Amino acid sequence: MPNHTLISQCRKDFPILKREVNGYPLAYLDNAATTQKPKSVIDAITNFYENHNSNVSRGVYTLAEEATEIYESGRDAVANFIGAEDSGTIIFTSGTTESIKLVSSAWGQKNLKKGDRIILTEMEHHSNIVPWQLAAKSYGIELVYWPVTTEGRLDLALLEELLTNSVKLLAFTMVSNVLGCINPVEQITEIAHSHGVPVLVDSAQAVSRMSIKVSEWDCDFLAFSGHKVYGPTGIGVLYAKKERLEEMLPFQGGGGMIRHVEKQSSTWAVPPQKFEAGTPPVAQVPGLKAALEYLKQYGIKQIERHDNELTEHALNQLTEFPDLELYGPSEIQNRTGVVSFNLQNVHSHDVAQVLDESGIALRAGHHCTQVLHERLGVPATVRMSFGIYNDPSEIDRMFSALDQARAIFLH
Amino acid sequence: MTRDTIYRDILLEHARHPKNSGRLENPGLSASVHNPLCGDELELTLALSGELIQDCRTIVRGCSICQASASIMSEMIIKKTLKEAIITGRLFDESLRKDNEDVPEMVEPLRPFLALKTHRSRIKCMKLAWDALEECANQDKSPNYT
Repeated sequence: MPNHTLISQCRKDFPILKREVNGYPLAYLDNAATTQKPKSVIDAITNFYENHNSNVSRGVYTLAEEATEIYESGRDAVANFIGAEDSGTIIFTSGTTESIKLVSSAWGQKNLKKGDRIILTEMEHHSNIVPWQLAAKSYGIELVYWPVTTEGRLDLALLEELLTNSVKLLAFTMVSNVLGCINPVEQITEIAHSHGVPVLVDSAQAVSRMSIKVSEWDCDFLAFSGHKVYGPTGIGVLYAKKERLEEMLPFQGGGGMIRHVEKQSSTWAVPPQKFEAGTPPVAQVPGLKAALEYLKQYGIKQIERHDNELTEHALNQLTEFPDLELYGPSEIQNRTGVVSFNLQNVHSHDVAQVLDESGIALRAGHHCTQVLHERLGVPATVRMSFGIYNDPSEIDRMFSALDQARAIFLH
Repeated sequence: MTRDTIYRDILLEHARHPKNSGRLENPGLSASVHNPLCGDELELTLALSGELIQDCRTIVRGCSICQASASIMSEMIIKKTLKEAIITGRLFDESLRKDNEDVPEMVEPLRPFLALKTHRSRIKCMKLAWDALEECANQDKSPNYT
């Protein structure tokens, strides 16, 4: 049975869930795009601006010291949340996209050369494809794609074949933002490492749904965004293992990332500051910290269970309709609350618009995964993705409202 | 029936049975455009006789609004000059941005779309066919349309 305790406790924490949309209570099922914010996150950001606002690592006055303290304690909180042993391995960025760009640029410049290869999977978000395409142009490297199986998963046996001598990095998503499959990070990392290949894990969809253990998994890089874990927009994280940090050139140049600047050259601050040029997302850090504390308060185990229950509920219903096609695994094992489908002969945009009329917010389109959609053979899909506040009745409402789409477009 | 229902039915009829669907052999001008939001695709082929659009066809891989827009546009631009067609598209664009529902006479057949203009995310769907027309005009070396 669904985890009503979690829902009844946490729904009240999210002010936006009191809203009505088109005369219906908001059913927010687009959590893979962004999550809503609990009051504690909103308050943490407001509190920073109202009481502590100043720049970090610059001034000697009280406010500046407070801001720096808040900022660095956020770094500690992130390290703790993702199981990193040292908070010096945590770099704040603007989001997953910038985190991956940082690796492709700062690590790529020094470690990639003509003829090298990078392995990506067909299920990557554009943020883990396009930076590598740009890098491919700059460094003359080749992108190799690890195919998605017909079940919507990755075949580990195929990876062994792809890991040739020229491969310098494997960059893959932990959870597909369309298929909802969970890729076995630890196993994949082990295989890649046995061939001497470092790995980058895009955990944008994973961090809010399951526990992350970077040190235990031994992954080299891990990226995620604050706004997908109930935190603010404008902040992201890149975790990089110490050995990798040492192999990286600066990313952006500017204030905060230097040791000493002369007219013609400069020396660099130590990581992570070396990679945080300019004023960082200062006010967003307490927001992100509050979000991680919020998740801890309910416990990731309970959140995971709730997500599983919603996913199972959705999959069970979906398979009952012969005119709904599911994209992604139909079994619940190693699967999370991202469920994509199409209503036969109706474009996903049309479906999403009709659902909006009933106050149901979900996404239609290619979800920034055109390579995957090419593989699936459809231009676009409808996607529902669950958060901790979602109730099974919201999923039921979604399935009922599909009848209106059928009535309008298929009568 | 409310006004919006009537408009919706007009659009759905075009979406289900699009006019001038397909591709012209040896077109005078052609363009393929994409909607980056959803990956929808639209191909427009035009047959010109001098300035005049003699015929046109569209192939749409897209939503009902995108289909309907291509269908209605095709009916509107045949036997018009390319310049007139482009001006119609630009007036449509202006009408979509305005707060009121006054439209110039040339844009009247597009009125059903205006009922949807508050859905800003669908504007690109409505305009994709007209974007393809602009693209065709860009390729046309003869006149300028500004």
